[in-house]
Amino acid sequence: MSSDVRFTDFKSDKQPTWCPGCGDFGTMNGMMKALANTGNDPDNTFVVAGIGCSGKIGTYMHSYALHGVHGRALPVGTGVKMARPDVEVMVAGGDGDGYSIGAGHFVHAVRRNVDMTYVVMDNRIYGLTKGQASPTSRSDFETSTTPEGPKQPPVNPLALALASGASFIAQSFSSDAMRHAEIVQEAIEHDGFGFVNVFSPCVTFNDVDTYDYFRDSLVDLEEEGHDPTDYEAAKEVILDADKEYQGVLYQDENSVPYHEQHGVTEDMSEIPDGAPEDAMDLVREFY
Amino acid sequence: MGGKAQDNMAEDLNWAVGGEAGDGIDSTGKIFAQALARAGRHVFTSKDFASRIRGGYTAYKIRTSVDKVQSVVDRLDILVALTQRTIDENLDELHEGSAIIYDGERSWDAEIPEEMTAVDVPLKSLAEEAGGAIMRNIVALGAACEITGFDVEYLDEALEKRFGGKGSKIVENNKEAARAGQEYVQENYDLDRLGYNIDTTDNDYVLLNGNEAIGMGALAAGCRFYAGYPITPATSIMEYLTERIEDYGGHVVQAEDELSAINMALGGARAGARAMTATSGAGIDLMTETFGLVATSETPLVIADVQRSGPSTGMPTKQEQGDLNMALYGGHGEVPRFVVAPTSITECFWKTVEAFNLAEKYQTPVFLVSDLAMSVTEQTFPPEAFDMDEVEIDRGKLVDEDEVDEWLDAQGHFRAHAVTEDGVSPRAIPGTTDAAHMSTGLEHDELGRRTEEEDERVHQVDKRNRKVETARENEDWDYREFGDPDADNLIISWGSNEGALIEALDYLKDDGIDVRVISVPYIFPRPDLTEEIEAAEETVVVECNATGQFADVIEHDVLTRVKRINKYTGVRFKADELADDISNKLAEEVPA
Repeated sequence: MSSDVRFTDFKSDKQPTWCPGCGDFGTMNGMMKALANTGNDPDNTFVVAGIGCSGKIGTYMHSYALHGVHGRALPVGTGVKMARPDVEVMVAGGDGDGYSIGAGHFVHAVRRNVDMTYVVMDNRIYGLTKGQASPTSRSDFETSTTPEGPKQPPVNPLALALASGASFIAQSFSSDAMRHAEIVQEAIEHDGFGFVNVFSPCVTFNDVDTYDYFRDSLVDLEEEGHDPTDYEAAKEVILDADKEYQGVLYQDENSVPYHEQHGVTEDMSEIPDGAPEDAMDLVREFY
Repeated sequence: MGGKAQDNMAEDLNWAVGGEAGDGIDSTGKIFAQALARAGRHVFTSKDFASRIRGGYTAYKIRTSVDKVQSVVDRLDILVALTQRTIDENLDELHEGSAIIYDGERSWDAEIPEEMTAVDVPLKSLAEEAGGAIMRNIVALGAACEITGFDVEYLDEALEKRFGGKGSKIVENNKEAARAGQEYVQENYDLDRLGYNIDTTDNDYVLLNGNEAIGMGALAAGCRFYAGYPITPATSIMEYLTERIEDYGGHVVQAEDELSAINMALGGARAGARAMTATSGAGIDLMTETFGLVATSETPLVIADVQRSGPSTGMPTKQEQGDLNMALYGGHGEVPRFVVAPTSITECFWKTVEAFNLAEKYQTPVFLVSDLAMSVTEQTFPPEAFDMDEVEIDRGKLVDEDEVDEWLDAQGHFRAHAVTEDGVSPRAIPGTTDAAHMSTGLEHDELGRRTEEEDERVHQVDKRNRKVETARENEDWDYREFGDPDADNLIISWGSNEGALIEALDYLKDDGIDVRVISVPYIFPRPDLTEEIEAAEETVVVECNATGQFADVIEHDVLTRVKRINKYTGVRFKADELADDISNKLAEEVPA
């Protein structure tokens, strides 16, 4: 395939089983548009997904893909990208996958700065298990396992990323299709780990963080004239608990991705038919 | 077996250096081992150590002979003791012909049994004269050369290898320190070599340990991506590869934990690289989460488990073969796998090469099960033992763009999990045109898409298991055999006990006991030993664990009872001790 790739080429013929109205439809469409707009095609793209409603995305998209275990999608994407720097790697997950069971991997993937994109469908709820609190649920959000609310502050994934040394932090809203696709595209184009937290409402189990809530409260940083390369300004909006922002919050212009730091540039899938030519040198080392 | 030990003394020398962790024991021992290898002598080393950087008894032991040596024995001839504890820890192995080199000027008053030869050398003072107290161990090596009549020039070669990178001044100082030790003993003692004889040969040997052999095997086999998390005793595989893999266009990444390490390796493998991770049992616990995904997504992956004593944190620096059941059965659900356990250091190399081929040919995870004893033991081999021309690479059904068409369904989807006669499906890696597909830990159809349809489920389970059956038919799953093939007594072992068993044969023969030894490197699939066991009058299974995990498997295979020798002290089998154990076990009543 070549330049005539359309975003629908990234769509599989499998019908999503997400609830009608689920934010994940919009999140996925934006990802597909951003991939097509950046000149990728399904044969050079690898999508990694975790577990949860978000994890189904590998089935509904068409590309090389792995739907892995809960919380470990980022390490899989890391391995793909290291072995094959020529492949476009996109990792997708939910707030439970990324900020609860996979939180440790999130911190280290951020600081490793591998040149891939991480899209988190943040609906502030566990949907697939039918409505329990997630790490981004509000402290008073009542669920079957937290009848009086979690009574603990939600994780601020943007701040967690910043504290971990992120080079690109963005947030989008699945319903604002144009802006969402633009923001994911910027994350793909970023030289390093492009992280996008996407408000992706759960219409079935979350009656607080709804489409209406985000539509009413969302502040677009582009309209505000925010300069994402200004670390102090970024810190201010990231730590601002009173507002929900959309746009690129922070971008390190001097980001050096992992493969450049470590000189990892080769296609590791290609190996000789036998031991390397000079392999007896490995033995002679032990004289 | 004391008599036998004395008989062996002329050709077989057991030497050790011991002290506190942090005293440079390891590098001192390694230098002496290299000097012996340069002299064309065979060397087999072992280590006593504790899991800490400084403090605690540690020792590096060398058994050396002009003949091949492949086990430790319960005997110590020359001991360089930097602490009293070094002497106390080894009293059982020391004998009346032993010499103990120590520094009488140091604060401790050495208590050395009267019947032994005490060689008091002012190690620190002589080292200071040569350029620095740090070289006191080298002074001791010089002293050891003099006691055994070993030409100090071989030591020079080893010092050049060890310190060459630090400049000629350092090398010269060390050579001077060695000579100071040698001359001091020459001038102050008349030992007449205590009857020891260090013959040399023209043979050139390489000296390496099991983890280095695994790392070298991985590079030879085309492994280009390694993800791991440091853990004793597996870390040195990672360190070996880190130093060298970039010369071959590969990369080693240190993950944040073992959960991540195996997932990174999985990603590398799905991207088409020959990928590997290595850990010890505690890390396998974590990796087990992802193990089922590797198997069901049919991803070729080599997972090395360098076993140590468990459970939990156990005895992290001690030997055990306690992970066999985990390698065979770990993970929920039914997970096809191969389990290969190298039985020697050369086999660490060859079985690693084989593991990569098995993984790719059958798109199945392979457990490469080694152990602590093999990981720290350095042994000499002729370089031809690692003949790289013999390395074969088989990537299995990796399809290129021209072959994709025959594996597409009517709608043009690539059938990555196609149900085939041999169970193996085509494998396409990213970049292969028109073969984009997903794979998943969910049960899936031929296209890799989730299914809970009954027939599809059965087809996929059968197909995955059929790969193992195909491998069972197409590959060699032979055992290695030693001793008398017609003997009535059959000894079965797996993993690293092989060397001690081979040497135990000599002791047993002296006692008039003939045995046939079967050393099994393949745990799953494994050779069927029914005929061999039925032909024997007595069968004993030898392993370093308490419950006899391999013996259980054998009993289940053959539907009979076997005798068991289990050692779980944290120390590997020694040839002479094992010969005694076998002799006693054979004399026991047959179990009910």
